[in-house]
Amino acid sequence: MNIVFVLIPLSLVLVALAGWAFFWSVNHDQFDDLDTPALIPLSDETSGSPAEAGPKSP
Amino acid sequence: MPALTCFHCGEPVAGQAPLVARVGALDHPVCCIGCRAAAEWIASLGLQDYYRLRDIPPPRAVAVGDYSAWDRPQLQRMYVHHRDDGDAEVCVLLEGLRCPACSWLIERALAAMPSVRETGVSVPGKRVRIVWRPQLESLSTLLGALAHLGYVPHPLDRESLNDIVEREQRTALKRLLVAGLGMMQAMMFAIVLYAGALEGIEASTRDFFRWIGLLVTIPVVFYAARPFFAGAWRELRARRPGMDTPVAFAVALVFVASIVETLRGGAHVYFDSASMFVFLLLGGRYLEMRARHRAADVVDALARLQPAVAERLDANGVPESVGVHELQAGDCVIVADGATVPADGELVSSECRVDESLLSGESRPLLRHRGERLIAGSIVVDGPARMRVARVGAETTLSAIVRLIGRAQQQRPRWARYGDRAAGYFVCALLVVTAITAATWLVIDPARAFAASLAVLVVACPCAFALAVPAALARSLTVLAQRGILVLTPNAIESLLRANYFVFDKTGTLSERSLEVVASEAVGRFPADECLRIAAQLESGSTHPIADALRAAAGCAEPARAQNLRRIAGGGVEGDIDGEHYRLGRAQFASSVEADDDDAVVLADSRGILARFELREVPRDDAAATVAGLRDAGSGIEILSGDSQSRVAAIAGRLGIDEFQARVHPEQKLDRLAQLRAAGLNVAVVGDGVNDAPALAGADLAVAVGGGAELAKSSADIVLAGDRLGGLIEARIIAIATLRIMRQNLLWSLVYNAAAVPLAAIGWVPPWLAAIGMSLSSLGVIANSLRIRAAAVSRPGVSTTAAASDLTPVPA
Repeated sequence: MNIVFVLIPLSLVLVALAGWAFFWSVNHDQFDDLDTPALIPLSDETSGSPAEAGPKSP
Repeated sequence: MPALTCFHCGEPVAGQAPLVARVGALDHPVCCIGCRAAAEWIASLGLQDYYRLRDIPPPRAVAVGDYSAWDRPQLQRMYVHHRDDGDAEVCVLLEGLRCPACSWLIERALAAMPSVRETGVSVPGKRVRIVWRPQLESLSTLLGALAHLGYVPHPLDRESLNDIVEREQRTALKRLLVAGLGMMQAMMFAIVLYAGALEGIEASTRDFFRWIGLLVTIPVVFYAARPFFAGAWRELRARRPGMDTPVAFAVALVFVASIVETLRGGAHVYFDSASMFVFLLLGGRYLEMRARHRAADVVDALARLQPAVAERLDANGVPESVGVHELQAGDCVIVADGATVPADGELVSSECRVDESLLSGESRPLLRHRGERLIAGSIVVDGPARMRVARVGAETTLSAIVRLIGRAQQQRPRWARYGDRAAGYFVCALLVVTAITAATWLVIDPARAFAASLAVLVVACPCAFALAVPAALARSLTVLAQRGILVLTPNAIESLLRANYFVFDKTGTLSERSLEVVASEAVGRFPADECLRIAAQLESGSTHPIADALRAAAGCAEPARAQNLRRIAGGGVEGDIDGEHYRLGRAQFASSVEADDDDAVVLADSRGILARFELREVPRDDAAATVAGLRDAGSGIEILSGDSQSRVAAIAGRLGIDEFQARVHPEQKLDRLAQLRAAGLNVAVVGDGVNDAPALAGADLAVAVGGGAELAKSSADIVLAGDRLGGLIEARIIAIATLRIMRQNLLWSLVYNAAAVPLAAIGWVPPWLAAIGMSLSSLGVIANSLRIRAAAVSRPGVSTTAAASDLTPVPA
């Protein structure tokens, strides 16, 4: 039964991580446009890496 | 020959040897030089996938205008933000930005420009944020590039860069997630505790799980629920308890009681109830906020109505592009063909025709002579016109209309929030009952006092009560938004139910902005069909509604044979077909005969009149059905229009509306509404023009039909996006369902509370059962609200995808 005293704090750490990841993605514009990224894999573009093709970042 | 459509914009291509654009290895027909340039530029950037990805063809590409005025420092001060690192930032509203493929195209096309460092396209907001190096390329180059793609750019002022809406949305999303994660965790640990309560659990293990439950609830209460506490504080300071007060009280009481129970090792804790409560309420608010923002995105009114640049003539008569805010009374400006009049003033050139439909409701261009007044915001149809500025900025008629809206909005009676107030009383009553319970038990049996009073609080925690109205409203807002009906104000659904008198505007509301040919009367040597074909030929290059109507009436597009086409300002068009010279236009232009025949177009050759075409407005497809539907529901219907008597009468006759008034000014509309309301009617105004805006604001319910003047939407309660009048009937059906569900919810929570509170007060309900009861009562309310469905609305063959497409981009 003592294992719960390890597993539960571990699950809390995971929840905190998930929350942090979500905050990060909201702050980095990941939820601003939910439609356009769906089209990117449909493009036949061969030239350029995703970083080049996507919006530039400074 | 099959009808060709333009590769770029999808419009029919006229002419035998159409223009071609070379994309990839193939030649594609295009309709105009603008579209060819756009298609070839897109191809040269390697972005031809755009044509495969897009859902909706873009607007016809226009010849790229001159944007050099945007490089003036006086203009840039208002529109461009210069960042500390030397980059500049601007936010541009793009006309014609409609689907994700557009945003894909724009991002890539801009990324290919050497100066652009960062772009962010928002499809729902129809705007793009650009960060670029001003040393490398000027703003006008960027705007030119956007126009080149076929999107007309309108830079927005600097305040729009500071995006309040975006921040609000992000914060709400974060709070919702924190509440959701916290709720899931708290419930997980609560299940352990419930199981333990039934099966037996060691006190130390139980306390451990309680402390963990407290830990995961802390962020929910202190971060996610902060808007409720802030709102309750505001309401209490204003001494007007609303919805936030009972919610904040309940959350705080349940949370504090649970902490006390944890500390003293009491019978039960309720961390799961607290976090679930917060999550469900935040979810409802989030949906409401999304609907509000999406509607506000569509507005962006003044950016389109008021031009930012004007062509001013200097002392030597040389035109110079300047910002409109630089204009002063007495300046002389030139307004190009199709451009918007920048300020109020008088016409200096001999004559011109202006489209004032946005301001007066007059559906056709009006002739203005030298010395007559031009109003800011109206459009010069056959320019260029030269005018002397008389009034600028806040003194213009347009600004006065905007102020009128503001005044009317202040006069609007606010809908009393019965539900909120009832909940407020309920909380007060609840606190009194809890106090009485505690006091009574302290006298009878002090050991049971805390458990009993806590049971009363939890069992009656205004969950179901607080959720009854918002849950049903949030659900109906979602369903309505799916149908392209955007509800902007909280009381709109109630007002829609109560509205029993509908006042319609005509132009753009009951009727389309396009025209149709009703009669072609041949008086010369050709039959009417042949005359129509000649007329269509003469109009082949024009996009004017009259040209569209004539082309549609002539039937299939045939190759253009007309030569030497010439458009005469204020008159019509002339040209040669098969060696014969024809004129088409108003009577005195075509045949040099004075006639007061403004509703007809006349075709003449050198020998005399050949034919007369009568045009009339086309009612919207669903106008008749909507009017009939409203009348069946027992509502009165009336048309108030700024247009002429004969045209209003024609439309009213076709739709079977008996009450109508023509040539009504905005002030008269307001008077008429006040009169109707004084007679005890609940008046709904349906309109689209700016001239309707004050009327919209002065009505019990304001409905704006999308696609019309954007300004009207800002004072509307409901926006029917996608130009579908039939949404009004659907909205009513959904509103009726919402009201029914809301009543059921309130009844259910009242019955539940009335049954459970006395039982809890006499100590028959252990707190754990109270918590389960509370959760079940809330879930019942939510499940009931989900019964509001779009399926309840019949779909009489109206394309809903087309309707919603303007607002909700559908991925390919």
